[in-house]
Amino acid sequence: MSAEPLWSENLRKVYPVKGGPAVEALAGVSMNVRPGERVALLGRNGAGKTTFLRIASTLLRPTSGSIRVFGYDVDSTPEKARPYIAVVPQEGKPFFHLCPREQVYTYLRARGLSRETAQSRTEEALTRMGLNEVADRLAITLSGGQRQRTMVATVIATQAPLLFLDEPTIGMDPFARREVWASLRDLTAKGSTILLTTHYLDEAEALSHRLYIVEQGRVIVSGTADDLKRSVGGTVKVSLPTAPGRAELFRSFGEVVTDGEGLTVIVTPERLREVMEITEKSHLTPTVGPVSLEEAFLRVVGRKIDED
Amino acid sequence: MRIETTEGSARAFRGTGAFLWTEVLVQAHEELAMATAMVTQTVLLVFVYILNPALIGVALVGSVLFSTFTLGQRVLNEAAYIRIDHKANDLYLAGPMSPEGYFLGMAAGVLVVYLPPVALLGTLAVVVAHLTVETSLALLGLAAVVWLFAASIGYIFSTFFRDNRAIWAYASLFFNVFGVLPPVFYPFGFFPAYLQPVALLMPPSAAAALIQTRIGATALSTGQTWLALLGLAGETTFAFFFAVYWARRTVRGS
Repeated sequence: MSAEPLWSENLRKVYPVKGGPAVEALAGVSMNVRPGERVALLGRNGAGKTTFLRIASTLLRPTSGSIRVFGYDVDSTPEKARPYIAVVPQEGKPFFHLCPREQVYTYLRARGLSRETAQSRTEEALTRMGLNEVADRLAITLSGGQRQRTMVATVIATQAPLLFLDEPTIGMDPFARREVWASLRDLTAKGSTILLTTHYLDEAEALSHRLYIVEQGRVIVSGTADDLKRSVGGTVKVSLPTAPGRAELFRSFGEVVTDGEGLTVIVTPERLREVMEITEKSHLTPTVGPVSLEEAFLRVVGRKIDED
Repeated sequence: MRIETTEGSARAFRGTGAFLWTEVLVQAHEELAMATAMVTQTVLLVFVYILNPALIGVALVGSVLFSTFTLGQRVLNEAAYIRIDHKANDLYLAGPMSPEGYFLGMAAGVLVVYLPPVALLGTLAVVVAHLTVETSLALLGLAAVVWLFAASIGYIFSTFFRDNRAIWAYASLFFNVFGVLPPVFYPFGFFPAYLQPVALLMPPSAAAALIQTRIGATALSTGQTWLALLGLAGETTFAFFFAVYWARRTVRGS
């Protein structure tokens, strides 16, 4: 198990469409995930994230390109890759007529774990996900968030070397999300590697060591969250709620986004003082804060859409 | 880090027992479903008893075979439901569990849960039709063969649907038409002669004809007996191995 947990090169997936043009869901995705990393795959709906995850998790065949899990070719020898992976499928649900305790335990048994190991990991995962109080209630009686926690508990209990999580915290409250984050951090500390997709950019920032942004089946940005923020021209934003017609004053400092009467300037920390001096001279009231990952994401993807 | 399999590779039929148990737990929480498993058979038995009580033994034997045949419909419904609604196949199959273990575990789990009504009908058949030990064992074996055929077909069919609503209609139609119209609940000789070879190529009616011959309700010729036996064996073997192949193939979509 010395090879990289996940490696892909020029991965393509084309879906044939009856009576219409084929859809290219992946147009040459190359990426690698190193041992113990938590990597987020971000993108708009339909960008190709789930297609990539399904191919990587042996559930879909690529049209061309290469992809390996721990050195095993996922396309030609999926049965060799499968023992190393576990998946939280997008929109996956636990069996409605099983309790969370039964769901986690029977799943671990189906993966070949011994009774004792399955039992102890089940209890550990249920506790971790805050499901003890509902552990013996049928899943059909649980809330959407509790069902999703059951799915995550099922998969983290495997402690598989490589976990694929497709929108794992969807529908969860902020407390539950943080429990999931803590569990995933623990897992990687123990040696697991994680590739997740999410539309919660705060989650991607809090959780991932690196991220890939996919747009129309292509990786348009990869790196850390800070790299992405820097790529939009600065890590500080100055918001001016009422500055009609003043955009030109700030264009030389960085990107200026207008919104009605207001505008936002993205600047580097080094040039912040100059911007503040201008706002003072112009009698404007600025609000200064860090650029969020979501804002950087919107700009990077928006720019790509404009280009296309 | 622990890798949960030997030699880093999934073994054939790995996980069958565990998934069987999972299915038993899932199905056992729906007690009413077990009762509904007997509705069609009971209705037909009542009709036969009212219209011609002398045929009740034949109908009871048929009801056992029909019961194991319609378990295929339950496998179809279950496999499609947990794939379409729960994505549970993704959860289980992207892991060390084997695809054929998933299929067989599900089919066997459904069988275990619905065994009590089948056993009840079987006991009634033994008592009412005065089945000998040999004939009872033959009925048991044929019922098992019919189950294996139907479960395999049910699993294969389940992979073609993308919507549960379509399944309810087609599955019910398929299993009821092939389980009720051919001579399963009534003597083989009542079936039009020109269609009899077709009936002998349908597993439920072929099995019923073989048992009816043993209890004297039908007299199959040697050729017909061989056709029924070879048809059952060939179709069931083909259906099972194709289901195993198909289970492996459909893990990865298209």
